[in-house]
Amino acid sequence: MKRIGLAGFIGLVATAGAEEPTLTFEKDVRPVLKAHCTLCHGEEAKPKGGVDLRLRRFMDAPTDSGATLLVPGKPEASELVAIIERGEMPKKGHPVPPDQLATIKEWIAQGAKTARPEPETLGNGPLITEEERAHWSFQPVKRPEVPKVEGAPTPVDAFLAAAMAKEDLSFAPEADRATWLRRVTLDLTGLLPAPGDLEAFLADTSPQAYEKVVDRLLASPAYGERWARHWLDVVGYADSNGYTAADSARPQAWRYRDYVIRSFNEDKPWDVFIREQLAGDELAGATHADYQAAVNDPKRLEQITATAFLRMAPDGTGDPNDDANLARNQVIAEQIKVVSSSLLGLSVACAQCHDHRHDPISQEDYYRFRAIFDPAYHWQAWRAPAQRLYSLYTPEETAKAAEIEKAAAAIDVEAREMSKKFLDEIFEVEILKLPEADREPYRLARAAAEKDRTPEQKALIKKYPSALALYSLNLYDQKKQDLVDAKSKEAAALRATKPVQNFVMALMEVKGQVPESQLYNRGDHEQPVRPVTPGELTVLATPEIEPFQPAAVPSGSTGRRLAYANWLTNGKHPLVARVLVNRFWMHHFGRGIVNTPGDFGHHGDAPTHPELLDYLADEFVKGGWRLKPLHKQLVLSQAYRQSAENPASSERDPDNRLFARHKLRRLEAEALRDTVLATAGALVDKPFGPPSTIARDPAGRIVVGVDKGTITTAKVEPGGEQDYRRSLYVEVKRSKPVTVLETFDAPVMTPHCEMRPQTTVAPQSLLLLNDTFILENARRLADRLHAEAPGDENQRLRRAWQILFSKEPAESDLARARDYLRLQTASLTVYHAQNPPAAPAKGAPALPAPDPNREALASLCQVLYSSNRFLYLE
Amino acid sequence: MKTARLCSRRHFLQANSFGLGGLALATLLKQDGLLAAPVKPALGADAQFDLLPKEQHFPGKAKAMISLFMMGGPSQMDLFDPKPMLTKYDGKNFPGEIKYDNLAQASSKVFGSPWKFSKHGECGMELSELLPHLAKVVDDICLIRSMSSGVSNHAQGLYAINSGRITGGNPALGSWLTYGLGSETEELPAYMVLSHPGGLPTFQGEHFTNGWLPALYQGTVVRATEPRILNLDPPAALAGDGQRRQLDLLRSLNEEHASDHAGENDLRARIASYELAAHMQTAAKEALDISNEPESVKKLYGVDNPETRDYATRCIIARRLVERGVRYVQVLNAGQSWDQHGSLISALPKNCAATDQPCAALITDLKQRGLLESTVVQWTGEMGRLPVLQNDAGREKWGRDHNTYGFSQWVAGGGFKAGYVHGETDEWSHKAVIDEVKHYDWHATLLHAFGLDHKKLTYKRNGLAASLTSDPGAKVVTKLLA
Repeated sequence: MKRIGLAGFIGLVATAGAEEPTLTFEKDVRPVLKAHCTLCHGEEAKPKGGVDLRLRRFMDAPTDSGATLLVPGKPEASELVAIIERGEMPKKGHPVPPDQLATIKEWIAQGAKTARPEPETLGNGPLITEEERAHWSFQPVKRPEVPKVEGAPTPVDAFLAAAMAKEDLSFAPEADRATWLRRVTLDLTGLLPAPGDLEAFLADTSPQAYEKVVDRLLASPAYGERWARHWLDVVGYADSNGYTAADSARPQAWRYRDYVIRSFNEDKPWDVFIREQLAGDELAGATHADYQAAVNDPKRLEQITATAFLRMAPDGTGDPNDDANLARNQVIAEQIKVVSSSLLGLSVACAQCHDHRHDPISQEDYYRFRAIFDPAYHWQAWRAPAQRLYSLYTPEETAKAAEIEKAAAAIDVEAREMSKKFLDEIFEVEILKLPEADREPYRLARAAAEKDRTPEQKALIKKYPSALALYSLNLYDQKKQDLVDAKSKEAAALRATKPVQNFVMALMEVKGQVPESQLYNRGDHEQPVRPVTPGELTVLATPEIEPFQPAAVPSGSTGRRLAYANWLTNGKHPLVARVLVNRFWMHHFGRGIVNTPGDFGHHGDAPTHPELLDYLADEFVKGGWRLKPLHKQLVLSQAYRQSAENPASSERDPDNRLFARHKLRRLEAEALRDTVLATAGALVDKPFGPPSTIARDPAGRIVVGVDKGTITTAKVEPGGEQDYRRSLYVEVKRSKPVTVLETFDAPVMTPHCEMRPQTTVAPQSLLLLNDTFILENARRLADRLHAEAPGDENQRLRRAWQILFSKEPAESDLARARDYLRLQTASLTVYHAQNPPAAPAKGAPALPAPDPNREALASLCQVLYSSNRFLYLE
Repeated sequence: MKTARLCSRRHFLQANSFGLGGLALATLLKQDGLLAAPVKPALGADAQFDLLPKEQHFPGKAKAMISLFMMGGPSQMDLFDPKPMLTKYDGKNFPGEIKYDNLAQASSKVFGSPWKFSKHGECGMELSELLPHLAKVVDDICLIRSMSSGVSNHAQGLYAINSGRITGGNPALGSWLTYGLGSETEELPAYMVLSHPGGLPTFQGEHFTNGWLPALYQGTVVRATEPRILNLDPPAALAGDGQRRQLDLLRSLNEEHASDHAGENDLRARIASYELAAHMQTAAKEALDISNEPESVKKLYGVDNPETRDYATRCIIARRLVERGVRYVQVLNAGQSWDQHGSLISALPKNCAATDQPCAALITDLKQRGLLESTVVQWTGEMGRLPVLQNDAGREKWGRDHNTYGFSQWVAGGGFKAGYVHGETDEWSHKAVIDEVKHYDWHATLLHAFGLDHKKLTYKRNGLAASLTSDPGAKVVTKLLA
């Protein structure tokens, strides 16, 4: 009987196995136990009740109470099952859901199998299972076959169409030409097409018409200004230091901003771009004390400028703060957040204090990662912000400046000697006013150094203060003081002839100064636990591949960052290219293929089109890491050329996960400000250089302008051209975000921004109704319309529609607008009659008489600026 | 013209309803036949979302809510949850097992509360000496000592308490309430957030995001300093009719544009936001200006004291907003200022000194005005703290680590029991053991107080009916309700 029973049982399992795959610990059971049990039974130093559920083989040990946890083949005899069924476990949290308990029972019934032999030992940090390693984003990029889909003009379209077909969706019809032109122009340059651009495009019937537009836009300098902004969000660009309330200025950050713009415009390959930002100093052969030769070479200066990427984090170490060492370590921690989420798409930062909760990243991994950067920061030998500015003097300029300084110093000495001589002469006159007996002791007291004077001497000087004549020559004889001052001015004038000294903000190591990297308990730099060596995250390395080996570079730098950068950009890293192309895609299509662009881990969103993502990543790398060809491929695709209208897609796929329509998006803050300025004819095309300054105005707004405020009053004066440059060039002060930009969701960099929210709140509407920015530019646009179409109201309205909406107004639009203008003009006329302008101040020129017609048109322009057709890109 | 009539009628009622509270307004509107909107908007491809007041599922006393949110994890055993065992074992090894947020940090030394507890009010509620003002209103509050979420760390704790889920990007509680019930005012945003002069709390916009609910339901942040809302003054030449004419033209252009883009809720939300902005120009200034509040009221809250001035001012503003029909107001702190990993002994009293008096005054003031009955006031953080110490570098530097397994919050008004203590933690204040209230139970109960069934208040998302309480085990804790 027994034999038959056993045979029968085996037969049963075999049969079940043939129908259903065998359950394994790693794939089926461990996730259940990890969710409900292992916090207490495995992850604490001493597992509760002696029960450790991390590995299958640990379950063979008897529990503290002597029960048998697991009897393979017999779920009913296994305490693991019984204790859950009795409701005694888990003690905390949710009960194990019935279907999951059923899985455990089935697994035991099938013999409690593992997928493979379990590891002999569990090292520091979490156990990384094959299943965790198998997470999609940790796998090498594999170029997929392009699906064969009829009518899909490009590979991108084929991938999308194949996925749509499964959901019974298809692309929206093609958008009209004007819509596409507006879309692609804003997308690539952050500005609207000029009416002339539209005319030319509509007239171009050649098959290359679309491509020509894309080439023109990509070649425009505005392209780099637009796309640099996306990267500056990710790196957390700011012109101030943040961290403390002082929020001091970071005066040289703009060189990095310009570097980014230039890199985009010249289509610098991203492998180079990344290497320069992570290790430009090591590429250029520069170290902290030995950089002059490098900064005098344009190519190497560019590489050095790029390292400011690693200087972007909020940094309070140059301002008074409560805990200097903490502030230093915070800089490093924040910078690691920026590096890991920008390039790896992983929130490595979670592992600073403890093993990562969701991703297989241990605290050990975190500090190995940090060790790549430790020599450059070295918190125990910290260099404050002022010590990271490297002079751009050439050797000749250095010599010249030194020579001038020497001469100026000599003049200073001369001036001091003159002053002394005059004072001594005065003294000889003054002393005669003292009683004879006091004269010699006074003379001695005067001659003694202040600190060496005896109490008697001090008393004597106090008795006859005006006889001293050691300083304040002007009080004795202003004319002689003037002579001395003239001499001093000679020195100042000479110093002013020194060559202008510029600086670059950079990150460099100090040769030979390499701190021992440590794992810090709970991220507390005062609690080092054990030394660590630099390395890649364990889950990204395999025993067979050691991803990178730091090797010192000839300059004397450790070469850690360069080795790491080389590994990131060698084309084999599973994350870098995917993370980058996903962001590029997101900016074109309104959502990422992975919609959590900074989190490709287990808690991030899964890719909606994994094969498309890999295809793009592979194209990008194979194409030499160049972005412009990728842009071209994307914006010429059917997916990008489709209209925003697809009822089936709107209804069944409101989030547009399948990209079966072009998602409507509100203009980003900078695009909004820039297009308003540009259409009003006010935009000043003055690229690069120090940022346009900002100030608080009396209404409490932060505006672009020159700050003339005091501690008690806010005052802003116009700054001329600087007030009208593109928003990218406006000072980014973390504690004073520019109102027009902040209101429309420009991020405050603490430390950076992975994805901007798109909010719709009343303060935005209030700004468009009442803010001086919009009122002034509406007036400018009205002036422009008058200038371009002086005689005819209809022509002015047509022009407004062309400029703002890239389309002709319908007759009904014109009628509505004319009615509006008529009524508004009448009402403004009444207003001005009732509120005559105040008489000009005496001698001041008379103010121009109010022009209700012009004002009405301006108020119409304001309405058009505020309309959704202007605010949203479709 | 129907909307115009509705506006003017509602405007009239609104202007005359001060002191009556939202209930009165809603009732009047209902009698007037204007409040026909069913609970939550109808869903579907052509769903139209608005902020008109909606019917409750069943009668609920609560009409508005003020959330006093204390990001960082306030220490319950030093404020609300007295534990003599901690005092007894102070400085000794903890005899049981601690669920640490981080094992590597483990210190097993017990940290007895440095502050005395005593009984207050008729109900005899025990509170710490750090909360002398709250002690005077204990008969009006419901103290829950058995909160738990069981998640880890600040982010998840915040998400759990604020959005019912443990990831970011989900709608906040205030969004759900405004989605479910609409607004009682057309002159102010339905959901307003009063930020701290030191900036937003950690996780910033996550505190008041509408997540995947339509943009109409997101929180509007009021600036921490004057001017609290910018751009409220129309240009002189256009004020009044001129601007109305602009808005009418804008509306007709936007309506036409929106009809070309069916299903884009954001366009609708923006159309509504212009109307709201127009009303706010007159209403918001008045609502946010406390200068005409009687001196006695200012003194009650502590506006006269530099230490409490900011929080007192914001609490008065919160009350004024609720009086004017705002559905949900959240008063925020900066950063995570209640996160005392170290120097608890000096840091915690500072936090209390800045907030205790204004919080208590808010209850007194609402009660005097007859508004407490219909207004829920909630005081909570995203978690609590551990009974053992952290940062063992001298008593002055002792702190406590996170604890999501047992912590305290209090609520007042809106149909919650008064003078009542609910639930217990174990003898160490580590884990909730009696009458545990999970964050999702709290959400279910709160919605119930508002007359909403947490299972029915849903939004269609990717083909599923999503609710605030995503956990199937969520239940209404009837013991909390009067």
